[in-house]
Amino acid sequence: MQSFLDNLIRNAGHDPSTWPWTQFVYLAGMGAIAFVVINFAAITAGIFSWAERRVAARIQSRVGPNRVGPGGFLQWIADAVKLLLKEDLVPDEADQFLFRIAPYFMMVGFACVFVCLPFSHRLIVADMNIGIFFIIAVTALIVVGIIMSGWSSNSKWSLFGAIRSAAQIISYEIPAGMALMIPVMLAGTLSTQGIIRAQGGWPWQWFLFDNPAAFAAFFIYFISALAEGNRTPFDLPEAESELVSGYNTEYSGMRFSYFFLVEWGNMWIMSALATTMFLGGWQLPGLTPERFDALTGGSAVVAELASLALFAGKTLFFVFVVMWLRWTLPRIRVDQMMNMCWKYLVPISFAGVLFVAVWMLVVHAVPALGIAMRVLLTAAGAFGVGAFVVRTLKNIRDTGDKFDFTSNW
Amino acid sequence: MAETVTAYVKNVRDTAKSFWEGMSVTLSYMFRKPITTQYPDRTGVPVRDTIPARYRGFLEVDMDICTACQACERACPIQVINIDIVKGDGKTRPKLNMERFDIDIGKCMYCGLCVEPCPTGAIQHTREFEGAVMAFNNLTLRFVPDDRVPFPAYKVPKGSEAFPRRPLGEITRALLKAWDAPPPPFPSQADLDALNKKADHGGKPKPAGLDPAAMGRQLAAKALNVKDDKPKLQKVLEEAMAGTDCGDCGYPDCFGYSDAIAQGKESSTEKCAPGGADSKAMLETILVSLKTGKVPEAPAAVKPAEPAPVADSRQPEAGPKGPPLAQTLGKEELYKVVFDAMAGTDCGDCEYPDCDGYTKGIVYEGQTDLNRCAPGGEDTRVKLYEIMLGTKPPPK
Repeated sequence: MQSFLDNLIRNAGHDPSTWPWTQFVYLAGMGAIAFVVINFAAITAGIFSWAERRVAARIQSRVGPNRVGPGGFLQWIADAVKLLLKEDLVPDEADQFLFRIAPYFMMVGFACVFVCLPFSHRLIVADMNIGIFFIIAVTALIVVGIIMSGWSSNSKWSLFGAIRSAAQIISYEIPAGMALMIPVMLAGTLSTQGIIRAQGGWPWQWFLFDNPAAFAAFFIYFISALAEGNRTPFDLPEAESELVSGYNTEYSGMRFSYFFLVEWGNMWIMSALATTMFLGGWQLPGLTPERFDALTGGSAVVAELASLALFAGKTLFFVFVVMWLRWTLPRIRVDQMMNMCWKYLVPISFAGVLFVAVWMLVVHAVPALGIAMRVLLTAAGAFGVGAFVVRTLKNIRDTGDKFDFTSNW
Repeated sequence: MAETVTAYVKNVRDTAKSFWEGMSVTLSYMFRKPITTQYPDRTGVPVRDTIPARYRGFLEVDMDICTACQACERACPIQVINIDIVKGDGKTRPKLNMERFDIDIGKCMYCGLCVEPCPTGAIQHTREFEGAVMAFNNLTLRFVPDDRVPFPAYKVPKGSEAFPRRPLGEITRALLKAWDAPPPPFPSQADLDALNKKADHGGKPKPAGLDPAAMGRQLAAKALNVKDDKPKLQKVLEEAMAGTDCGDCGYPDCFGYSDAIAQGKESSTEKCAPGGADSKAMLETILVSLKTGKVPEAPAAVKPAEPAPVADSRQPEAGPKGPPLAQTLGKEELYKVVFDAMAGTDCGDCEYPDCDGYTKGIVYEGQTDLNRCAPGGEDTRVKLYEIMLGTKPPPK
């Protein structure tokens, strides 16, 4: 970030170290970047709200919102404008101050994650050397916002939702953190760009297929991320059928929309993190990071855009999986949720960390064993994907229906 | 221990398996065609074509086969149908012309009672059903678009069984297009003044108008000529009727009714519903002249032209009459006519034991109170005053 601005100043014919306005340029640059990132988050969250409704509709044999704009794409703008124009109600008995600032805590915790989230080979706000640690730390701010909103609303439903949410997020941070430790160990760095660079463009170079523990860690991380994002089947904090709407029951208008912005924006964060840690991030097949760095001119731009597209593609696929899961699974009970965390995810992730530590020593001694395991796991993964497609097509065929994705939009 | 491990592994495996199965099921639905029907604008065929054939939607009248019998108007329990008739002499202009045929779809309750009496099937339910409009007034279907251009009634050819009709729904659909138009503006004072001026200026009878009294005298003269020739008399009588063969009189057609009168089997003159007061007046004039043997005199002064068309839609007794029946008929004939005028329920409300008693009281015993028939109400009052005094009853 700073080097980028230094380069700009140098191109303008000045030396950054002697230039008197450097600090102001840095400040203005940070403001501009923050504006872009927050808008990116808000707009993707809005688009996901539309995409989720369309996906949900298709899965339930419906059509979904398709009238505003092409394919209903502008629906989210209509919804957002409506929410902004609504009255911002504060309940009479609520704690006025906490009630008003709680959504901003959530927004801050959510927006800070984007600081360390990579988008492509060069596109990242700040490639901190404690990237993953930072992300896990600022995510906890969301819990503060949720508890604040639940407590200050002075409503039973809100408080129940907030307490469930706190219990859930704190519990699931442990398996999520342990699962993320495995790629950190394999890469030897906490920096998000460093972890991506330690992988490769081809699937067998991804950490996902590095060893069985990493394979399991991917699923543990994904499940924990669902729980942390309050997504189905872990949507206990905002269970409509039990708690009206959970911690955000008393909110309306723009403050209410912040909660949903965070929920949908979180889908991008959890998917981008999974892509970064386990799926090779923006790595292009057949182009090592070193050769990528050396590219100049037009080919550098093309490669940069290709890496951006690849990263976004992988991330959007996982966003779709999150939506897809929501319309597949029913909500689990509180005791089941705790059971799953403490009896399954936590022990398995700890065992995984130990296994990876040993496995790294073994591979260091016998490199062929590591290659064999990668090939084996990649083949198993490919077989799994193939079997799943066959199974899905069979489901369509067995009901006498046919594959038809284009009609009745 | 081993059991615990087995159960633990089984739980993990079951979780994975249920994810696998569940997600492949939901994904398979994702790639199928949604069953939603995107009414109203993205349906494969118009929705009305998917509705059963006997659906009762908006009404439609094919004016080309409408006999103007007004059977539908009479059948309608809530006065949704409004038909205005102007009569011609049957020679230079058709006998019946429709100035107005309005159906207020906003009031219609789709009972279908108007469809059943229609002799030609001109009025039918279509399958149109989308009645959302911006202006409530637009909900009236006007099958005669312009009242200055009256629509001649269809004359049923003798013995025809089938009546060709335009495709069902075509006419109403064309009218529905006007529903999106802005409603007619509320008339300003200037508009009203202009309208009144026009009415004053053209204060002569409407072009298609007909003087039933004059025509009644003409027919009466004819009838006297053929007094003893029943078939010819029947023809004269039939001319006084509307000629729609609607069957409302209880006879299969106009021939049946007029023949019964000519043969003396029928004495009521008011059974021709489409002809209304005009037919009744003409038939009465004919019967009276047959009785007395001379055509009644035309009124001395030429009656001023009928007032502007708006004035008398509620006064079917327009037009001059002969002397009251009480002075022209014999007591026995009069008894029949008076008896017919009563409700016939023998309720005893008139303080006579039954209708027969009250009738005898009026005809033979000089009872002058004509207001006593409660079940007959206003109708009976009007008839009794007309028969006995030749006047309208005083307001109550």
